[in-house]
Amino acid sequence: MSNDLPATKEAPEARYAPETSMDAGSQALSEALRSSFGIIKLVVVILFLVFLGSGFFTVGPQERAIILRFGKPVGQGERALLGPGLHWSFPYPMDEVVKVSITGIQKVGSTVGWFAITEQQELAGLEPMFGPSINPAQDGYVLTADGNIVNSRATLNYRINDPVRYVFSFASASNAVQQALDNALLSTAARFKVDDILTRDITAFNEAVRRRVTEQLEKQNLGVIVEQCSVESRPPRQVKEAFNNVLRAEVNRSKVLNDAHSYEVQVLSKASADAQSRVNLAESERVRLVQDVASRAEQFQELLPKFRENPKLFAEQRLNGVLGRVFANVQDKILVPATADGKTMELRYLFNRELPKPKTEEQK
Amino acid sequence: MNRKPLTIVIGVLLVIIFGLLLFVFQVRQSEVAVVTTFGRPTRPITEPGLKGKLPWPIQKVYKFDRRVQNFEDRLTEGLTRDNFNLLTSTYVGWKITDPTAFLPKFVGSGEPISEAEKVLERLLGNAKSAVVGKHPLSDFVSATDNGTNFMTIEGEILQALQGQVRANNYGLDIEFLGLKKVQLPESVTQSVFERMTSERKLLADRSQFEGEAEASKIRSEAERKAAEMLAAADGQATAIRGRAEAEAAKSLAVFQQNPELANFIFRLNALEGSLKDRSTLVFDYHTPPFDLFRGVSTNLLHK
Repeated sequence: MSNDLPATKEAPEARYAPETSMDAGSQALSEALRSSFGIIKLVVVILFLVFLGSGFFTVGPQERAIILRFGKPVGQGERALLGPGLHWSFPYPMDEVVKVSITGIQKVGSTVGWFAITEQQELAGLEPMFGPSINPAQDGYVLTADGNIVNSRATLNYRINDPVRYVFSFASASNAVQQALDNALLSTAARFKVDDILTRDITAFNEAVRRRVTEQLEKQNLGVIVEQCSVESRPPRQVKEAFNNVLRAEVNRSKVLNDAHSYEVQVLSKASADAQSRVNLAESERVRLVQDVASRAEQFQELLPKFRENPKLFAEQRLNGVLGRVFANVQDKILVPATADGKTMELRYLFNRELPKPKTEEQK
Repeated sequence: MNRKPLTIVIGVLLVIIFGLLLFVFQVRQSEVAVVTTFGRPTRPITEPGLKGKLPWPIQKVYKFDRRVQNFEDRLTEGLTRDNFNLLTSTYVGWKITDPTAFLPKFVGSGEPISEAEKVLERLLGNAKSAVVGKHPLSDFVSATDNGTNFMTIEGEILQALQGQVRANNYGLDIEFLGLKKVQLPESVTQSVFERMTSERKLLADRSQFEGEAEASKIRSEAERKAAEMLAAADGQATAIRGRAEAEAAKSLAVFQQNPELANFIFRLNALEGSLKDRSTLVFDYHTPPFDLFRGVSTNLLHK
């Protein structure tokens, strides 16, 4: 079969050679053949150029390319990677160009510990229905160290570090990365207690997941570098209310404590003010008493010589003076006249609490 | 005429190309191949590149993907050593390492990779139930051992699987293995939820009662402190008053010069002080100065 092609090419040439002995008809035929032959040659040359031209390819800024020559990478290790720009390789089937995204961040998510939810539901903020138990074939979860069930999911961002390995050693490297993430989430949850995962020690849990997945990826030699790993955990929907109650109780507890503390501040500041005012009162009483006594003593010193001059007159004078002032101040004055036999008259006095002013009644 | 040699060159080139197509083949970086001679595997090829062979029907080439394949088995139920039902599922990374051994075992009935995975699933099932049965549940989930038991379990499953694969000479190798799911049977989850709920209730109650106890402690403490402060202040006040008495007592010495007068003055002051305002006074004619009403004053007039 391979001999057929040159043979057919040979044939027109053979007819073409004895040109001189041709008649007009065959000359016209050979002319036509010659010109069509020229066209064919031109087409062949163009096709060949196109064939060579098809070997040009560009590599984008976030890509690297590897040329496989007869299936084997050209160059070793780093040198096999072609950077951004225009490159040329032999056209297929000699060379094959494989492009790998390198600086772009790849992303995988692990939902092995999450309930089944579609993207639409997720976006709409809806949650699928659930029963009193979890069907393992449908909804995922992870077991915690203290035997509790928790929903947990993780997202991992990574970069391809070794594109040759990433592309040529794994049928689906991103799948392998995701499985490593699943495993990290599962095994890390299995050594954390439910409260640590959900509330007490979220960062430690997330960090442990990240460390574990990094370890796994290194062990499996996937040629990737972990950029970022985020974990989201929450109690299963079946017991959500019970968990919320604990949170509420804790909030309530701190509220009760805050109230107690504010009561403490209030009581103590009031007591402190009261204590100070009691001391101040005593102090002012002291000053008053001392001054009072001192002024009396002074007064006494002044009066003493006068008294010594004429004690009786002095006493009368003072007494009357004081009584006069007293009687002037007294609101109600009742004079009880003496009877003829010198006895004092009987007087009844009715106190009435309900009236603002004391009322007197006189009897004769 | 220079066309003739050119034509001959092209012809020869084409012959060579067709010849090559019969005698050589490519093995890509991601592939392994095995050459069979009259149906018998004779030459494994594990390096990529351009390889030669005799044309069909003498020799034939089988190519396989040599990259690591990801395989996940279904959840299978197994009993732990302490009789817990546990559902486990694993993922396995495996690849074809020996095409000569692989070829007769898996080529023929279907797609070789999925045929191999069927076998793997069966072997994995055996390996898992053997290993799970050796461990108590606390080896799977534990807060204390830092996950070493978990890794031990994975290692043991891997070893068991690896052993089976090698013993049967399947021509493949297990690269890595990990647990993907460890779950409880559906009926058990409900009782776990009940337990979780009661645990939560305990926690909620505890935090409520602890909060209340703490709060009442704070309150009573505050009240005690306040009482102490007031008592201390009262003490201080009493001391001040005592000092006042003592200071006043110094001045009292003055009154010793004439106690009679002092007494009189004090009584006058007391009287004046006690009848300051809004008081009612009942008196008779004996009370000075109202004795004047009785005409005592006349004595003076008539004297």
